[in-house]
Amino acid sequence: MSNVSADLIWEITRSQNAYLVKRKTGGAPQLSRDPLNLTNVHSRKFAGFVNDKALGIVPGEKGGIQVISKKPASANKPAAGLYTVTYGANKSTRKTYKAVANQVAKNSYRPDLRQAAVARASAIRRAQSLRIKPEPERKLRGAAARKAAAAKQ
Amino acid sequence: MASRPTVTVIGADGKATGATEVLPKVFSAPIRPDIVKHVHTGMAKNKRQPYAVSEKAGHQTSAESWGTGRAVARIPRVSGGGTHRAGQAAFGNMCRAGRMFAPTKVWRKWHVKINQGQKRFATASALAASAVAPLLMARGHQVATVPEVPLVVDSSAVAGEALAKTASALGLLRAVGAGPDVEKVKKSKKLRAGKGKMRGRRYRQRRGPLVVYSPEADGKELVKGFRNIPGVETCPVDALNLLQLAPGGHLGRFIIWTSAAIKQLDSVYESKKGFFLPSNVVAQADLSRLINSTEVQSVLRAPKGDARTKRGAVQKKNPLRNKQVLLRLNPYASAFQKEKLGEVKAEEGKPKPVPAAFKEQLHEV
Repeated sequence: MSNVSADLIWEITRSQNAYLVKRKTGGAPQLSRDPLNLTNVHSRKFAGFVNDKALGIVPGEKGGIQVISKKPASANKPAAGLYTVTYGANKSTRKTYKAVANQVAKNSYRPDLRQAAVARASAIRRAQSLRIKPEPERKLRGAAARKAAAAKQ
Repeated sequence: MASRPTVTVIGADGKATGATEVLPKVFSAPIRPDIVKHVHTGMAKNKRQPYAVSEKAGHQTSAESWGTGRAVARIPRVSGGGTHRAGQAAFGNMCRAGRMFAPTKVWRKWHVKINQGQKRFATASALAASAVAPLLMARGHQVATVPEVPLVVDSSAVAGEALAKTASALGLLRAVGAGPDVEKVKKSKKLRAGKGKMRGRRYRQRRGPLVVYSPEADGKELVKGFRNIPGVETCPVDALNLLQLAPGGHLGRFIIWTSAAIKQLDSVYESKKGFFLPSNVVAQADLSRLINSTEVQSVLRAPKGDARTKRGAVQKKNPLRNKQVLLRLNPYASAFQKEKLGEVKAEEGKPKPVPAAFKEQLHEV
């Protein structure tokens, strides 16, 4: 609608929103939990829920990465508002980054996000290639632990 | 405006029925968080009950000051003897068992009058914000599965006895994509920090969707269906309340409208005498479009100076490694490389010995 724009939404939500994480340590950075934020930094440029066009890059289910982008035409239709592309684990990293860069910047979707998109894709691919020790299973506490113990017997 | 924007009506199965409703005018009201915040602050105070400490607290003793000369402070002291209390300081706010500073009174100004025009402005503003999906997300509503914002559900799925039972009401919420939001509320119930626990505010939890219905067309049975679902609230369309539309003064409540309610909304606002819906000060809220518009660009002064880039603290490049820098310094380098002059060997063999006659001539005395 004509009374709403990304600029207005940003001014309304910049001081307070559900994604904003304020930390008091380490120079008190303002971070964002927005899935459509490429750098996780709370800023106008990277705020995915604010901008008409925004990108999110997340690890794919079977390795590789998923690039999520917003469809500007269906801004008020959240269920149909996202477009997902998967770049599988078998695609070489260089080709993946090239594809991500093209998807982001060609067709002038968000050329300003190209660097951040490639960096995030790269970070995810690199993390996937590392052998990370699996996190130990969380020990249950309190009522949940008692329940589990009772179920075992 | 050539054509008013419309909104799809969703059926009981969560699919579009094909019918559409014209979006009421109130949805194009200006979104003003400052006004909403201010009105909300006032309205939230109007349900308070007076409290105060006892009038007598800290004064139920016959303490008198000992005056000067006894090497103790001149604060009133409890008279008598035979008990530890005797001789202890009393009354002062700094004293143990003394009265508090400025004891609270029941005649404190508990309520705040808010101008009706402001209240209506705030309500209109909150309604307009409820039609903006990013604001819903920023408030924390889980709307990723919602087909459209504002969400309008066909009244035939709601009216009469259709939603008299909680199970059917919950089924409708799940069908129209509000399931995750309800689920989030259910999971969010936590014990309150602090003394509110013992003052009837034991738990705190998020707010879920607000169901706005038309009491005439939809009946009031649906209230019973929704009332036991955590976080879900209901509200008749002719009695919209800012405390529900913008909880905590934050814009963007997720509202589920019945089609009868949204149809009625225009007439609700028309019936408010002397109130005109607030209009936007600027027609175009998009700043970059304003800046890049021909109207603005055509009156801008041309930039002064040349188009040149100021290179500040750039790194010095090594011409021996960086070919472009090398070529800038030594244009011959390309020809040198192309001809492979660097690889050409020196002419073969040793230099020929100088003829003896030449040497003789050279050393002639």
